[in-house]
Amino acid sequence: MAKWGMAVDLDRCTGCEACVTACHAENNIPTVGPEEADKGRTMHWLRIERYWEGDFPDVQLKFRPVLCQHCDNAPCEPVCPTYASYHTDEGLNAQVYNRCIGTRYCANACSYNVRVFNFFNPEWEKPLDLQLNPDVSVREVGVMEKCTFCVQRINDAKIDAKANNEDGLIVDGALQSACAQSCTAKALVFGDLEDPDSEVSRLSGSARGSKLLGELGTGPAVTYLQKESWYESGDR
Amino acid sequence: MDRRQFVKASAVTGASASLAACGNPEDQFIRFISDEILPAGLAVSRRSICPLCPAGCGVEVRVMEGDIDVVRDGVAGVVKTGLAKKLEGLPAHPVNQGKLCVRGQAAIQVTYHPDRIRGPLQRTGERGSGQFEPVSWDEAIGELSSRLGALAESGGQNGLRMITRPLRSQRGFLIREFLERFGAPPAVTFDIFGDEVLRDANFQSFGVRQLPTFDIASSRYLLSFGADILGTWNSPVSQNIGYGDMRQGRPGLRGKFVQVEPRMSQTGANADQWVPARPGTEGFLALGLARAIMAAGTRAPADAGRAGALIEGWSDGLDAYTAEEVETVTGVPSRTVEQLAREFAENLPAIAVIAGAPLAHTNGMFNALAVNALNALVGSVGAGRGVGFTPQPEGLEPVQRGERTIEQLANEILESPAGAAPPVQVLLVNDTNPVFGAPPAMRVADALSGVGYIVSFGSFLDETGNLADLILPDHSFLESLVDHVPESGGGRAMASAAQRAMRPLHDTRDMADVLLEVARSLDFDEPLEWETYEDLVQTRFDTLSPPEGFDSAWIAAQFGGFWVDQSPSSPQPDPPAADIVPRAYSAPQFDGSADEFRFHFLPYVSQSFLDGSLAHLPWLQELPDVVTTAMWSSWVEINPRTAEELGVVEGDLVEVRSAHGVIQAPALIFPGIAPDVLAMPLGQGHRNFTRYASGRGANPIEVLAPMRESETGELAWAATRVNIARIEGEGGLITLAGALREDEELSR
Repeated sequence: MAKWGMAVDLDRCTGCEACVTACHAENNIPTVGPEEADKGRTMHWLRIERYWEGDFPDVQLKFRPVLCQHCDNAPCEPVCPTYASYHTDEGLNAQVYNRCIGTRYCANACSYNVRVFNFFNPEWEKPLDLQLNPDVSVREVGVMEKCTFCVQRINDAKIDAKANNEDGLIVDGALQSACAQSCTAKALVFGDLEDPDSEVSRLSGSARGSKLLGELGTGPAVTYLQKESWYESGDR
Repeated sequence: MDRRQFVKASAVTGASASLAACGNPEDQFIRFISDEILPAGLAVSRRSICPLCPAGCGVEVRVMEGDIDVVRDGVAGVVKTGLAKKLEGLPAHPVNQGKLCVRGQAAIQVTYHPDRIRGPLQRTGERGSGQFEPVSWDEAIGELSSRLGALAESGGQNGLRMITRPLRSQRGFLIREFLERFGAPPAVTFDIFGDEVLRDANFQSFGVRQLPTFDIASSRYLLSFGADILGTWNSPVSQNIGYGDMRQGRPGLRGKFVQVEPRMSQTGANADQWVPARPGTEGFLALGLARAIMAAGTRAPADAGRAGALIEGWSDGLDAYTAEEVETVTGVPSRTVEQLAREFAENLPAIAVIAGAPLAHTNGMFNALAVNALNALVGSVGAGRGVGFTPQPEGLEPVQRGERTIEQLANEILESPAGAAPPVQVLLVNDTNPVFGAPPAMRVADALSGVGYIVSFGSFLDETGNLADLILPDHSFLESLVDHVPESGGGRAMASAAQRAMRPLHDTRDMADVLLEVARSLDFDEPLEWETYEDLVQTRFDTLSPPEGFDSAWIAAQFGGFWVDQSPSSPQPDPPAADIVPRAYSAPQFDGSADEFRFHFLPYVSQSFLDGSLAHLPWLQELPDVVTTAMWSSWVEINPRTAEELGVVEGDLVEVRSAHGVIQAPALIFPGIAPDVLAMPLGQGHRNFTRYASGRGANPIEVLAPMRESETGELAWAATRVNIARIEGEGGLITLAGALREDEELSR
């Protein structure tokens, strides 16, 4: 059985934000407008955090794409009274929209601030509704939502592999989350952590790898590869 | 009411309700025969080309069946058709290799935008009132044809003009042919933040009037002077791909990246070393590096060839550009100059890039020539090296831009004697918005009010379209045949083409087909020989050599989305034979005295909206700008110490004033900006551009002085000085970081 995970190479990430809009387009994520955005109610499943260090002129700016970490010990799961947040066999922190009653306990428990709540019914001013991806449910008011690792693509790829591959397994690279597919500098790599030969397994084992807030014991499936610095020789 | 009466009453109301429904399209449900039959629930893949910037990335369009509301012969109903659902990069495309940028991902909203113009419109109210009424295509085209026919008859061919964005498709060729055969002057291209200075400089240095293509992936050193190579400039997706591999694509080798700029951009944030030089002195710094490299003896002046000879004092080793002198002029410490020079010469292949603000000073050309010379000195220029030029397909070269600028056109109109017939009787506007994008000092809006008849092909009512008398809305790119010749981003000559990905949603027509139809009705002496735009593109592609396995380049292009020249690449053209006139450094000039206007004003191309043409897309409005996390707003970036001195805190409303205008926007405290610089993104401040962008924020172009690059006459948009003051009122700054709890607590 697969275990889905991601590696984020911070030395490649340029903060171009292609992933952010790709996620919107794939997952039917609505906009909320300026008034609600000001209250922190935007629906981004994936955001680029940015950190300033130092003072002018010795100033540095670092980017970090943050999405659901699909934790092994996810703090969001046990607090849900309706089992809307649950753990799949393949390691996804799944969200069952029609079980969710909107207690928002999960968002409070999440260490990464990656769960977003539908304070209103999403508005798709016609004909913007025609762009909606039929493979992904449109969520309604009162429902919590979050990154799914593009579960609709995972399911598609499984059906495809069963039909077309002799061993019925998904070939590494044939399945990409929307963010990884668009990522211009190839910083985001998605795949199966159970497959030791997959690109994501290789990168997750990197000496530069670390987990976001790993000390909390959440066991994220996302590994961040540290940004490197340059030595004069250019070699390491 | 007893049961009998109730049944009677409900039967009557029921009947009348259904009768009423016949007259009320809202209540009907009629399913017309499908426009297009696709396998239910399954996606098909089609190709297109992203039109939002000149890079020309190949696009794979995911198309699925869906229902759209239509009215046919006065009857409302729904019809099944193929609808674009998601755009991805086209995997095999040489420019973007399966990747797509943030703007390309949002491009699908152009097609489905609720405020698209759905059919031809004709002005009813005063010009500029925004009042239009629908007309039929026959009437609309008839009106344009008869006006042009009257012009031709009276010998007033010169009275037809056209403004267009720079085009790299065959639409540009068609426009040229149309105007030429009509007898009108060539089209004026408008792109306020264009790269003409760099193209001119490359022509002088290397004999190629083109933007370069960089082999970043194989380079060990990347030195960028203000170029937003990872954000918006040139071919950003292809450059991002190269950058990722420069960092982590070669085991054991990681290239260094240095960015020189006074305000840290998204690109600059990725640099290993960030060097704020004084605005307009970038060329001086580049020559300081060149001097140090020549002084160290690693390279000789002659190595730079023609590019070096264009710089005064080059052959003598640039004595005037000592590290100490560089420090005095640019503010970059002399030890940094020496360090950069050593690293640049030792870590080959090394690439220097210049673009953006350094070229938008009065001495922009000099800055560009200096960086070209630095590249040539270390041997980085030429096919197969760090800095090359994508060959252009012979027979398909995009039309060079016209001699005349929008400003000259405006002056011609404004200076015509009162009482005489206006010099421009009919003005065609294609996909450009100079009323928003030209500094007010150019008086474009005034000039347009003196034009006899304005026809816009726009899909949206923007500031320029609002002044039109007739609007002939174009298809969106997904609804039309698209083609493109990339200027950069690949090693071989290539051209992309794709059939439409979906049927038009609205009653729109391809601008090119409209021009062809008008041309037919005008009876040119030498008629345009193409029936449709597709005919034209096919004819033009058929001149290219077909790749193996294909009958023609046209078939190859449609099969794969692009055609690539397989023949061995021809050598670069020789540099122009013209005399070499060496240039000396001249200090940048600024509009406004430093006493009265303390700050350099740096407008920059927005990650979300580019020059403002994408401010209508809701996904991009709500996209947190990566450096500031701001959404839905404008802002002015201020150094923290400067802000403290001025008593300004984040979110305060401030007024930015130049000698030419004043704008208001919230302040944003920005650690990565020089204390004497204020920066502002382009894109907001639209008065009139759909429900999402109208009346939002401020347009920094409104304070720009009409300063010129001294050699090319291009707008020096980074040469305005401004002042800033806190004023009363709501700033209205919206940031993602501001909404996160932790940040809020910290700021208290």
